[in-house]
Amino acid sequence: MNRTFHFGGDQTAAVIAVVIFATFATTAGEYFLTLRNLENVARQVSLDAPLVFGQAIVLIAGGIDISVGATMAMAAALAIGLQENGTLTAVIAALTFGALVGAFNGLLVTRGGIVPFVATLGTMSVVRGLLLTYTGQQPLSGTDDAFVFWGGDSIGIFPVPLILSLVILIGLSLFLGRTRAGRNIYAIGGNREAAYLAGIAVKRFEMLAFVLSGTLAAVSGVLLASRLNSATVQLGNDTALLSISAALIGGASLLGGRGTIVGAFLGVLALGMLTNGMNLLGVHTYFQIATKATILIAVVAIDALSRTMARRRLAMAAA
Amino acid sequence: MSIVPETNGGNGQKAGLASFKPPFASLGKGRSGTVLRLLRNHTALILLVVLIIAGGLLSDVFLTSRNLLNIMWAVSILGIIALGQTVLLITCNFDMSVAFVVGLAGIVTVLAQIAGFDLVTSMALGLGAGLAVGTINGLLVVYTGANPFLITLGTALLAYSISLMLTRSQTLYATIPEFNELGRGRLFGVVHYSVILVIVLAIVLEFVLRRTAFGRSLYVIGLNETAGRMSGLAIRRVKLIAFALCGGTAALAGLIMTSRTGSTVASAGAGMEFDSIIAAVLGGTSLFGGHGGALRTLVGVLVLGVLNNLLILLSVPIEGQQIAKGLVFLAVVWADSVLRHR
Repeated sequence: MNRTFHFGGDQTAAVIAVVIFATFATTAGEYFLTLRNLENVARQVSLDAPLVFGQAIVLIAGGIDISVGATMAMAAALAIGLQENGTLTAVIAALTFGALVGAFNGLLVTRGGIVPFVATLGTMSVVRGLLLTYTGQQPLSGTDDAFVFWGGDSIGIFPVPLILSLVILIGLSLFLGRTRAGRNIYAIGGNREAAYLAGIAVKRFEMLAFVLSGTLAAVSGVLLASRLNSATVQLGNDTALLSISAALIGGASLLGGRGTIVGAFLGVLALGMLTNGMNLLGVHTYFQIATKATILIAVVAIDALSRTMARRRLAMAAA
Repeated sequence: MSIVPETNGGNGQKAGLASFKPPFASLGKGRSGTVLRLLRNHTALILLVVLIIAGGLLSDVFLTSRNLLNIMWAVSILGIIALGQTVLLITCNFDMSVAFVVGLAGIVTVLAQIAGFDLVTSMALGLGAGLAVGTINGLLVVYTGANPFLITLGTALLAYSISLMLTRSQTLYATIPEFNELGRGRLFGVVHYSVILVIVLAIVLEFVLRRTAFGRSLYVIGLNETAGRMSGLAIRRVKLIAFALCGGTAALAGLIMTSRTGSTVASAGAGMEFDSIIAAVLGGTSLFGGHGGALRTLVGVLVLGVLNNLLILLSVPIEGQQIAKGLVFLAVVWADSVLRHR
C-alpha cells in the first residue's frame, strides 16, 4: 500500500528519461554533459514542474486543465507588474490570482456541468484577454533584484527552483498518497459514480483539484518571472500541451484515477532534456514543433489504446 | 404519443404504458411552456434579431446594405469551417486542427502555382492537403479511440510546423490572377461568391443531414454509439468521412481566404478552431453530440459576425474583444449543458 513513492506507472517515464539522457549524452556529449548545461536543464525543468504537478492532479481527478499556460503567464505578469507595492504583495497577488482562476474552472465544471476541457478552454481565452489588457501587450521588467534569487540563483550546484520544486513534489506526493483528500481524488478519477455512492463529496474534491492546478500554475509563473526578471504576453503559449504530454508520459491517464507526482516530474524532465538536446544539436524550430506535436499525438493515442486493450482483456476474462 | 391507437396484440400494453401521462403533465406546457420551447430552440435566431435591432439603434452605418453585405462577406470563411465542424460535433467529436489546415491549404495551393501547376490542379492539391489532415485525424481517433480534442490539437501543431517548413516563415503570393476571383469576385457585382458558396453548402448539408442515411447515422452515433453499432451502422467509416469532410471544408475556407488577399502565411487561420465551435454551439449544435444542423450553424455564424462588427463599430479595443469572446463562449456552452441536461 505504499503509493507515496510507488514506482509502477513511473517506470515508463523513468525509462524514457534515461533513454533521452543516454541519446544526447552520446550524440552531443561534450555540450550536453557539462555541469553548466545540466544545471541549466534542471533549472528549466523545475520552473515548469509545479504547473505539470497541477495538471497531473487534475488528470488524476478525471479532468483536464487547458488554462494553465495562460494562468502562468498572467501570474508572471502580476508578480513583476505589482512589484512597486512590495515583492511579497506581488507574489501573493499572483498566487491568489492562480487560485481564483482554479476556483472559476472548478465552478464551471462542478456547478455549470461543462466538460473540463471546454470550460478551461474558455477560461484560457478570458485570462489571455486579461493578460493583454493588463500588460498593454508590452513586456514588463522587474525592479527588485532580490526577487531574482528564487528562479535564477543556485545553492551550491543546486538551482533554487529545483530545491523548491522537489519540496513541492514531496509535499504533493504525501498529500496524494497519505491523506484522505488525496485518496479521494484518486477514487473520483477512477470511478466518479462509485466515489459518489461511497459518500465522497465529489464536487468539493474536483474543485480542490482545479484550485491546486491554478495555484501551482501561478507558482510556475512566479518562478519564471523571477528567472527572467520580466514577463511577456507570449509566455506559456504551448505550456498547456507540454504539461499534458509530460503528465501522460509520467503515467497519468486522460481517463483519470492514475498517475503520480514523481511520474509527472520524470515526464517533464524527459521533455526538458529533449528540448535542450535538440537545441544543442541545432535542430530547427520547425522540427522541434513537429517533434512536440508527434509526442503529444503518440502519448494520447497510446493512453487510449492501453485503455481499450485493458477493457478487451477484462471482457475476455469475463467471458 | 397519446394519439397512437392502442393495438390489441402483445405490444398493446407497452404502447399504453409509454403513452401514459401523469395527471398534471400538461401543467407548465401552456403559453409559458411554448415561449420557453421557442427560446430553447431558436435562441440564436432571437439573439440575432436583438443584435440587429440594437445595432441599428447604436450605430448609423450598421443597417446600411453595404455594412450588412460586408458582415456576410467577413463571416463566410468562418461559416464554411463551422459547417464542417457541425458535422463532427453532431457525432460528438471535435476538430481543433481546422485553424492550421486553413493556413496549410492556402500554402499548398500557392506553392503549387509557384511550381507552375494550373489553377484547377493547384486548388485540388490545396483541398487534398485538407482532406489528408482530416483523414489522419479520423484514422487516429477512430482506430485508437483517443480523445479527439487532444489528437487534433496535436495534428494542428503538426500541420503548423509543416506550413512553417514549406514557407520558411515567410508570406507567399499567388501567381495566377484568376485565383483571386474566388475570394474577391461578386455575382452581378453585388454579392460575393464566397457568400453564395456558404449558403449553398449549408442548404446541401442540411439536406444531407436530414434526408440521407449518412446524415441520419451521424445523429445516431452522436446520441448513442453503442446503439448505432448494434443496429449495424459502419461507425468507423461514418466517423472517418465526417473527419475528412471537416478537413476538406477547412481547406476550402483556406483557399477562399488566400484568394482574398492573394497571399498566405502559416498562421492565417489562427483562432478559427475556437470560433467555429462557438458558432456551431451558438446555433444550437450540442457539444454532447446528436443535436444540430447546418442552417442553425449559419445563424450562429451570423450572430458572431454581427457581434464582431458591432464591437468594431463601437470601437471596443482588441483586448476587450478577446475577453468578450471567451465569456460568450463560456456562456454558450454553459447554456448548452444546462438546456440539454435539465
